[in-house]
Amino acid sequence: MLWKEKYMLGVPLIDEQHQELFRRVTDFVETVRKPIPWEQKTEQVNRTLDFMKDYVVTHFHDEENLQRELGYPELPSHRKLHQEMVAYVVSVSRQYEESGNQEQLMQQFAGRLLAWLINHVASEDQKIADFARRKEQETHE
Amino acid sequence: MNNTLHLSFFEATREVFELMLDLQKVSESAVAPGEDACGNLTISIGVIGDLTGDILYTFPKETMLEMVRIMTGGMEVSEVDDFVTSAIGEISNIISGKAMIALSERNVVCDILPPKVVESEESVCAYPVDSNTKINTEIGSVGLEVRLQSK
Repeated sequence: MLWKEKYMLGVPLIDEQHQELFRRVTDFVETVRKPIPWEQKTEQVNRTLDFMKDYVVTHFHDEENLQRELGYPELPSHRKLHQEMVAYVVSVSRQYEESGNQEQLMQQFAGRLLAWLINHVASEDQKIADFARRKEQETHE
Repeated sequence: MNNTLHLSFFEATREVFELMLDLQKVSESAVAPGEDACGNLTISIGVIGDLTGDILYTFPKETMLEMVRIMTGGMEVSEVDDFVTSAIGEISNIISGKAMIALSERNVVCDILPPKVVESEESVCAYPVDSNTKINTEIGSVGLEVRLQSK
């Protein structure tokens, strides 16, 4: 499990969704890297792709709602990061299907997805939590 | 401007390595002439806008494998394959994106292009000749070369 306590934002709904994303990405990476023939992995790979396409959209939607409620000033640029990732997931899924389940595409997808998720949660999303904490402090002052 | 530019990329690298890989000791040093760097992978990130050109990141094999081991929570990785190259390309992309944000705060507005693996013999056994800069960490080094020009 690649999840770390330091990734917690302090917002239960978002933290649970992040943990679920990390669980799924961990499973996905472990499956893709398993030293067995690719044909034996395709079922789980396809399941993960279907999950990611739905869950990522739901999670991003909830995260953007949180930012809206907080009045987070970087929502437009954060939303752009989300949109780019959704477009990438959709595009790579289509290419994978059209290529007849080509392994190379999924190896590349797993590497990029892993790095993207860690950075997004460890860095970009922490800025939302920092903003929320600053806002709360200002309210109490 | 050159120092500011270079510093933006060094600082972005330091921040990304700390946040993503928990690396605390990140410093810079000169690359010794002829320093051995066999097995390296060079990732190029194109830049367009107020500045144009490329940023080159040169990763020795062991550095890359260790970075991926950290990210995967200890998974054994022994070869630089598509999975590793893609993860390292994304990290180069993330570093460059952060440097662009820092530059935009100085009113230098640029966009970056998707990472590309540099396929050249030069990248196989040497750091980029004119970079002279190596970023050192607990898990190895990374060559950094900023090749950008004002419009």
